[in-house]
Amino acid sequence: MRSTHVLTQCFFIVFITVISTIFLSSKAVFAAPDPTEQLRPFLQKVTDLLADPELKTFSKDEQSRRILIVVREHFDFTEMSKRVLGEQWRELSNKEQTNFEDLFTQLLQYAYIGKIDEYSGQKVEFLRQRIRGQRAEVQTQLVDKARSIPVSYIMLLRGDKWMAYDVVVEGVSLIRNYMEQFKEIQKKDGYTGLVKQIEEKIAQIEKDKKRT
Amino acid sequence: MNQKKTMRLFLNVLFVVLVTVCSFDNTVWAVDFLDDASYEEQAGAKKAYDPIEPLNRVVFTFNDKMFIWVLNPVATGYSKVLPADIRGCFRNFFYNLAEPVRSLNCLLQGRFRDSGLTLSRFLINTTCGVFGFADPASKEFSIAPVYATLGETLSVWGLGDGFYLVVPFLGPSTLRDFAGTVGDSLAVASYYPWSSDDVNSITLRGADSINTISLHLGEYEELKSLSFDPYVSFRDGYFQMRSKNREHLKPSK
Repeated sequence: MRSTHVLTQCFFIVFITVISTIFLSSKAVFAAPDPTEQLRPFLQKVTDLLADPELKTFSKDEQSRRILIVVREHFDFTEMSKRVLGEQWRELSNKEQTNFEDLFTQLLQYAYIGKIDEYSGQKVEFLRQRIRGQRAEVQTQLVDKARSIPVSYIMLLRGDKWMAYDVVVEGVSLIRNYMEQFKEIQKKDGYTGLVKQIEEKIAQIEKDKKRT
Repeated sequence: MNQKKTMRLFLNVLFVVLVTVCSFDNTVWAVDFLDDASYEEQAGAKKAYDPIEPLNRVVFTFNDKMFIWVLNPVATGYSKVLPADIRGCFRNFFYNLAEPVRSLNCLLQGRFRDSGLTLSRFLINTTCGVFGFADPASKEFSIAPVYATLGETLSVWGLGDGFYLVVPFLGPSTLRDFAGTVGDSLAVASYYPWSSDDVNSITLRGADSINTISLHLGEYEELKSLSFDPYVSFRDGYFQMRSKNREHLKPSK
């Protein structure tokens, strides 16, 4: 008796989801969600997590794992990896693509999310946004004590969710900057050389982290 | 006195030579991140022209060591002595001193509105901002700082970049923009209250750099530690940042 009840409930949920998806997607054509309105609560969530004293009680690995889970909500690491490699991406097999994405995510995770200790209550101000088709740029300002740093989020509309695939700090795009470096490395040592260098870099960051 | 004249002459000649060496091709580094093309630039198409890379790399290493062993420790010590807001005031002061040159550059670029705004910034900050130590023009009058350099003016006039150049002590630049920097500093120095003494000018220039570094402590090391080839990373960063600063040159949509 109970199992049929659960079954009906399941069916009902699936039904509702399907209906609402159809409804939402048809609606999305007329009114795309507002990128700033999606980014605002998301960044709030990230800064709240960073400011949470409980976070500091976990080990470093656990800390960055927790942050990555939240960050993934509005950051598209596949799109980032695709763009950072440029044409090379299309020549990779699916397995290589996943492997590269893992590596690049790990690099960004260590490099940026690893800097948790440096967060000291900086506030994010939203300046303006631009939307063109499925793309959007949301310009913000990270306000620190002595100065403020302009940070732009470049986003792509996936379904009804805006996903960031690049961060532009003071006019310097993170992805383009890595792209430029990866291109030079690939020219010299090929794709395998690039993968090797990223692995080495991650190992080195890990070693530095343990030392401090 | 004689020595000073030779120095001036040398700088003037250097400026003229740099300008003439630059070729007349004008590439505006316009970047629109919403445009896929900004990620798909193919090698050779709009790549940074860097024919003297080996030499640049040597200077880059020199600057790097200079920064790590001299400038950074000095700036760190200095930052411990003076609180950040006072250092911010010094930054404002130096920035304000160069406003007339910025205004002139705007004028030469045909940006008449910006030129007027910069001049009003200078007048407001010099009077209400106590010789430029505060920045009431941005805060009370909402006149944002305007970016304008001689390098930019030269580019508006059709002068090409020449090539990428890492300058000792100054860092990333291009032949044209370095010529611009030299020209700009000569212009500012000409009306400095202490312009009668070159040693003073150089000391103050140094103080300005130390002050600026003290407001950005740790940033250089961090950027460096995150990059695979710092030389390439900073070169790309330089061009990206510059195109951002010169966005106003793009035709408005």
